[in-house]
Amino acid sequence: MKKVIALLMAAAMTATALVGCGGSSDSSSKASSDAAGSGDWTYIEQKGDFVIGITYFEPMNYLDETGELTGFETEFATKVCEEMGVTPKFQKIDWDSKEVELNAKTIDCIWNGLTITDERKENMGISTPYMENKQVMVVKADKADDFSADKALTGDVTVVAEKKSAGEDVAKGDEFFAAANYVSVDSQAKALLEVKSGTADVAIIDYVMSIGTLKDGSDYGDLTVVEDMSFAPEQYGIAIRKDSTETLEKLNEAIQKVADNGELEQIAEKYNLKDLLLVEKSK
Amino acid sequence: MEQFINVSQQLLKGFGENSFIFIITLLLSLPLGFIVSMGSRSRFVPLKIVTKLFVWIIRGTPLMLQLFVVFYVPPLMSGGSFNFPRMNAALIAFVINYAAYFSEIFRGGIEAIPKGQYEAGQVLGMKKSQIFFKIVLLQVIKRITAPIGNEIITLVKDTSLASVIAIPEILMNAKDFSMQGLIWPLFYSALFFLAFCGVLTLLFSFFEKKLDYYKG
Repeated sequence: MKKVIALLMAAAMTATALVGCGGSSDSSSKASSDAAGSGDWTYIEQKGDFVIGITYFEPMNYLDETGELTGFETEFATKVCEEMGVTPKFQKIDWDSKEVELNAKTIDCIWNGLTITDERKENMGISTPYMENKQVMVVKADKADDFSADKALTGDVTVVAEKKSAGEDVAKGDEFFAAANYVSVDSQAKALLEVKSGTADVAIIDYVMSIGTLKDGSDYGDLTVVEDMSFAPEQYGIAIRKDSTETLEKLNEAIQKVADNGELEQIAEKYNLKDLLLVEKSK
Repeated sequence: MEQFINVSQQLLKGFGENSFIFIITLLLSLPLGFIVSMGSRSRFVPLKIVTKLFVWIIRGTPLMLQLFVVFYVPPLMSGGSFNFPRMNAALIAFVINYAAYFSEIFRGGIEAIPKGQYEAGQVLGMKKSQIFFKIVLLQVIKRITAPIGNEIITLVKDTSLASVIAIPEILMNAKDFSMQGLIWPLFYSALFFLAFCGVLTLLFSFFEKKLDYYKG
């Protein structure tokens, strides 16, 4: 009897161990081919929910004083989903795992000020660009006058940006920063913290990000954006699973509709982002 | 002041998730760890090998990676048709991980009891199970209180790792505030952990005193 139990336990444990460690290597390629073509839209339509992967970041998606989710992307996505005939479901994710979440179908899109890059275009389906973004320099307010476009940085200046971000590309690629020391950190918020604490002099972050973080009453009140200097304009898009052509068509159509009826402009105005909009009304 | 209350509420809400993971993990991983320790002491060789392999895999890989595997591998393998809810995935990973560590502590505790005690039991005509439960077990519990306490304190802080599969626990909420321009919530969150661990430390010392009725 004892031996039978022991054998059973052994079998169960082997099974768990095998499931636990096996199969993770080739799974991502397999899942992406499963999600291909029109199957993806059928899948979304059938469940009726469009799960939107977000992180909290003002003014795109954030909690207001009452704890309600709000923001430019939140309202924009809600309108677009209305047009597509699906229910938006906002799912907070860890930004570092966004691609895995998408392929695992735990989310259906990433809609959170995602910068369009060639690398992302290759790995995911990307919507029409709907908003422009640029990189700005954030420095201590009392030192802002020391920086100007005609005076490139010297070796005593430490520049900080988020790793693998557009800010990092600027810090490494732009001549203006060529002589400066560069440090990479794991988030834009940490880049600001470096400048505030004095461990770095200049943070390069998204303009959109600077709106929410440098507002009055924040802990970064003593930091400021260097005026009249911006770098590397880039575009925001919505990412969906690769090769989901039908979902992409529906999404782009819906975005155009929300732009045509003027709602997109209204929402952008509310969050002070109107100048950055890219989707034109069709005639 | 209003801001402080709002931040405290959000952090407390996050810490609720941490506490939930902590309690469930503790309740399930202690008994599971005991079963595993029985397996690794078994004289039946295949079971012993499998258990040792299990403990090696679980202790030999980062908990963060195990969280990823439990949550993402099922949907990636099934093309999205099956996945655990986020919290369940976190609980599975935590319970299995901590069971592996606890099992080794149990094994160490049991093996530290001198053979003479078993022999004494046999001389008195006790059955094997009687010897274990009436003589050995209590001494084991006394010996392992300190190392188990250590693991439990570690567990409190490890619960924060659940944020990698987007469980809105306290550190994730605190980081969200830094995206809104508030830095201090991140450091303030430390107080929640300190308070929780403080209470646990008091509990452990109380428990150890209770067990002090004999010198083993």
